[in-house]
Amino acid sequence: MDTFLQQLVNGLTIGSMFALIALGYTMVYGVMKLINFAHGDLVAGSAFVGLFAFSQLLGGKTSVFVVVGVFLITIVIISLLGLVLERLAYRPLRTAPRLSAVVSALGASMVIQNGIMLLWGPQMHIFPELIPSVIWNVGGIVISLMQVLIMVLSTVLMAGLYFFIEKTKVGTAIRASAIDQDAARLMGINVDTIIATIFLIGSALGAVGGVFIGLYYRGITFNMGWQYGLYAFVAAIIGGIGNIPGAMLGGILLGLFNAFIAGYVSSTWANAFTFILLIVILIVRPTGILGERVAEKV
Amino acid sequence: MMKKLQQIGYPLFFIVMALLPAVLNSRWLAVATTFVIFTIVALSQDVVLGKAGMFNMGQAMFFGLGAYTSAILNAHFGWPLLATLPLAILIPAIFGILLAGPIIHLRGDYLLVATIGFNIVFVQALQNNLGGLTGGPNGIFGLQMLSIPGMGSFQDFTPYYSALIVLLFTLFILRNLDNSKAGRALQYLREDDLAAGSIGINTRIYKIYSFALGAGIAGMAGTIYANQYSAVSPEAFDFIQSVLFFTIVIVGGSSVPGIIIGVFVMFVLPEIFRDFSTWRYFIFGFAMIFTMILRPRGIWPAKFGRIPKAFIKKG
Repeated sequence: MDTFLQQLVNGLTIGSMFALIALGYTMVYGVMKLINFAHGDLVAGSAFVGLFAFSQLLGGKTSVFVVVGVFLITIVIISLLGLVLERLAYRPLRTAPRLSAVVSALGASMVIQNGIMLLWGPQMHIFPELIPSVIWNVGGIVISLMQVLIMVLSTVLMAGLYFFIEKTKVGTAIRASAIDQDAARLMGINVDTIIATIFLIGSALGAVGGVFIGLYYRGITFNMGWQYGLYAFVAAIIGGIGNIPGAMLGGILLGLFNAFIAGYVSSTWANAFTFILLIVILIVRPTGILGERVAEKV
Repeated sequence: MMKKLQQIGYPLFFIVMALLPAVLNSRWLAVATTFVIFTIVALSQDVVLGKAGMFNMGQAMFFGLGAYTSAILNAHFGWPLLATLPLAILIPAIFGILLAGPIIHLRGDYLLVATIGFNIVFVQALQNNLGGLTGGPNGIFGLQMLSIPGMGSFQDFTPYYSALIVLLFTLFILRNLDNSKAGRALQYLREDDLAAGSIGINTRIYKIYSFALGAGIAGMAGTIYANQYSAVSPEAFDFIQSVLFFTIVIVGGSSVPGIIIGVFVMFVLPEIFRDFSTWRYFIFGFAMIFTMILRPRGIWPAKFGRIPKAFIKKG
């Protein structure tokens, strides 16, 4: 039972991170029908920008203001990078064949990944301990302050995004563009601005996810983006790609699944089990758990 | 144009390739051998991706299945490498049918993700030494290479020439495919699978067929690859490699010359610029983006099956 609850806590923590990253994939896919392969590398980049902000810009001593500063600086830099990415690699290919856009996305991923390597080198960096390591022992289950912070902050961000998408005018425009870009344009929506907005929000959430990954796993490498990116993408598919609550649910479920596989079966097979789950879901229910749009037959 | 290319271009290419070892040192001979092998794999990828138009990003798995089939039979059961070739074609082809069967109805990106999934499961199975046969993360080494008795010092060139023979054989298969009923069916599938189905093409069978054919050819290349290094290891068949083959076909354009250019650009050029190791992939990423912006259909797109320009209404 203790193992179960402990893995539940761990699973929820990593699940929140997956969910944050998955939102970036699912929003872009929802509107552009494009797998943004570079998103994972933006996430990896945010861990490095966070490290840089902490040690070079904010003096390397941790306090509440510094932690907030690290998050803000990372969010700003990575969001701008997301905008540049969209402008440079995706916008010129919006009318091109689908595969060209996929290769452009792969090229962008390569640029960001190797850009990180050029700036910080190929070796592993250790992310600073920003959050004091306070640990509570609740009836045999270990919970750290960091885990609580990750879960709470992710929940707040996701709730905020949900509110933004469902209740605001821009959110409505995003949903309209996801259903039919041409119709949305006819209704006076500037689809280009909407797509830029999506990249901005997705990258910002990915930036938070990247800093979380740095905080939680500590060791960061320039090529870790693929790994986390793929996981988050799987999460987005499990929840139903294009569906925002689906990405959140998928992230949490995938985190739990991973934690239980690692806890009960074996961590050396975790990757294989995750992707077997993905394939089973694609066979049984390709629209994902919450996916409802059936206009495009998959 | 295409006729002329086939009559002059291909013989010229093979003559140049056949004479190439005379001017290459051992390092560049290895690069040239891998270039030929990757061309075969990229051509097999093109059967699925370019001809049938299915987004497959797991071709390295079939490549690896062939290589591991040969390596396991050679290392554990003592088969000569040449004798393993039929099984190295057959086993990936069977896997192609079995794996493609349940996912073949998936469209576009969903299929792409499913094939990535297969590739990752495959590599992890290799790394975990499945059945005690795959040798774990180090793979299998010390394979007995192909050898032709009485060749003496010419022996160093056997990996290269065996690869070249397999490439020739592959091109022969693909030429026949293009001129066959199956090949035309695949072209229709790519253009519009609904229309293809409605004129009586069994789309499901032909989609699986293309996977099986692509897997078989990739498996054949796998044997030659195992022969080149007399070893196999999991990372050579990682899904990053699948991404490479996928990119080659799209960047080059899905035609034979396009694919040869693609392999040259994506594999040989990085080898040439090895001295700029830290910068090369950074610049390559940009090159990929700009190639796609300037030539969305690839550097040398396929012409087969397209309507001649004279018949297309202008405007």
